[in-house]
Amino acid sequence: MSDNPKDDGPSHGPNFDYQPALPISNGKTFMWLFLSTEIMFFAALFGTYLVLRFGAISWPSTHDVHLAEIWGATNTFVLICSSVTIVLALEAAKKNNASLAKSWMILTTLLGVVFLGIKMYEYKAKFSHSLYPQYPHSQIYEKADVYYSQAVRKRLAVLKAELENTTDRTEAQNEQLTLVDSISLDYVVPAEKAIREDPASPAGRILLLEMADAIYPRASVHDQHKRSTHAAALSSNFHLASTSTPAATGHVQGLNDLYPWLKLPIMIPGGNMWVSTYFLLTGFHALHVIIGLIAFAIMLTKTLGTSNAGLIENVGLYWHFVDLVWIFLFPLLYLF
Amino acid sequence: MASEVTMSAETAHDDHPGHGSTGLYLTVFFALCILTSLSFLTYFDFWRDRVSVGVSRTFMMAVSCSKAMLVITFFMHLKWETNWKWMLTIPASLMSIFLMIVLVPDIGLRMRHASQDRMIYAAEVQAEEQADHSHESEDEHSEHSHEAEHESEHPST
Repeated sequence: MSDNPKDDGPSHGPNFDYQPALPISNGKTFMWLFLSTEIMFFAALFGTYLVLRFGAISWPSTHDVHLAEIWGATNTFVLICSSVTIVLALEAAKKNNASLAKSWMILTTLLGVVFLGIKMYEYKAKFSHSLYPQYPHSQIYEKADVYYSQAVRKRLAVLKAELENTTDRTEAQNEQLTLVDSISLDYVVPAEKAIREDPASPAGRILLLEMADAIYPRASVHDQHKRSTHAAALSSNFHLASTSTPAATGHVQGLNDLYPWLKLPIMIPGGNMWVSTYFLLTGFHALHVIIGLIAFAIMLTKTLGTSNAGLIENVGLYWHFVDLVWIFLFPLLYLF
Repeated sequence: MASEVTMSAETAHDDHPGHGSTGLYLTVFFALCILTSLSFLTYFDFWRDRVSVGVSRTFMMAVSCSKAMLVITFFMHLKWETNWKWMLTIPASLMSIFLMIVLVPDIGLRMRHASQDRMIYAAEVQAEEQADHSHESEDEHSEHSHEAEHESEHPST
């Protein structure tokens, strides 16, 4: 070292090479530190989902809650593609090919937008089936009991009052009024009457389950019904909506599907916990995608040459992490 | 000391050109696509009829872990990083595993204990079976509901 360090300034001697703690740039160090906190953040969310799901007494099947596996798989593919394009953008930037890097970056941004578009479409499908995580929109009941029939009755009463208060009703509105009356007479009144007259008998409970099934037929129940032998189905005194409606292909149509304006309360055992975890996990993931897209938008304003390669690398690391989270979310939410 | 630093810097620089080529990235991409389609196979009936739920879940998680390893190793360049990568990844992974384990007794096991009421209306019992069973357990159930009524009266008084 030098003879008199004090003469050479306050920091260090002339021959002293200052060694950084890590052989990488500060930006990359911080990105990795941030990602390690993100790992724990998502681990907590995944862990909560897993323990809630496998500790739950009942959990809806994917088709019970209108979750389409094909869209999840498509989104996985889209995110994998975007991971490749951002790696290629980094490679191009390292070779100082700014225009090529920019095209890869634009493609990555577009793929991110496609992912969010598909996600929004999926969310809309949930909302259109009254699957909301919170009141007042959420109309999910865990079981077909008297509180459920009360909720259906109240909703029908509201609809009826609205229709009756309209002064000059159209033909369509008259038909709606007839339908509201017939649902009330066919399902709610008999079920509540049976429960009231003989609470110990299962007849009332069967009627309540049939009402729930007519409003919102659950795919898992109907699949089970199809698989079971015909004789067993005939001897049972429980009638599912699928036996009366001839819809052989696709989802069985319930009252809420046939008449979307009804928006009657629905019964899905474990449904409330499902919507909470689904929207929490995918929502936080979508939030990360949005933040990534904002970062991409900022990057697109810059010249993506060698000088900015480090920046692309850091944003890329973040984006790969977002991809990683989805790699685990897809099987856990859509296929389990 | 200075020579050591320059040496380590040199070796680091020597490693960097091996940062993968476009060909390697495309290979990884195709591997990821194949793995995704593998896990999607579990969705089809021919798979569901032949493979038990536990096996296909384990299979899906194995596929996901392989995909994650591919992304981390090649796309996040951890293959070509020096030893600092262990410092960040190992503690974070351990912490995340602990986080999941810690949740099991408080939330997971607590959810396992369901009230009689919840068990009766649980989805595992199919609707037809429930209708048949309720014939048998009619008396038992009415007794329970009476008990529940008595219990619910207590807090109000």
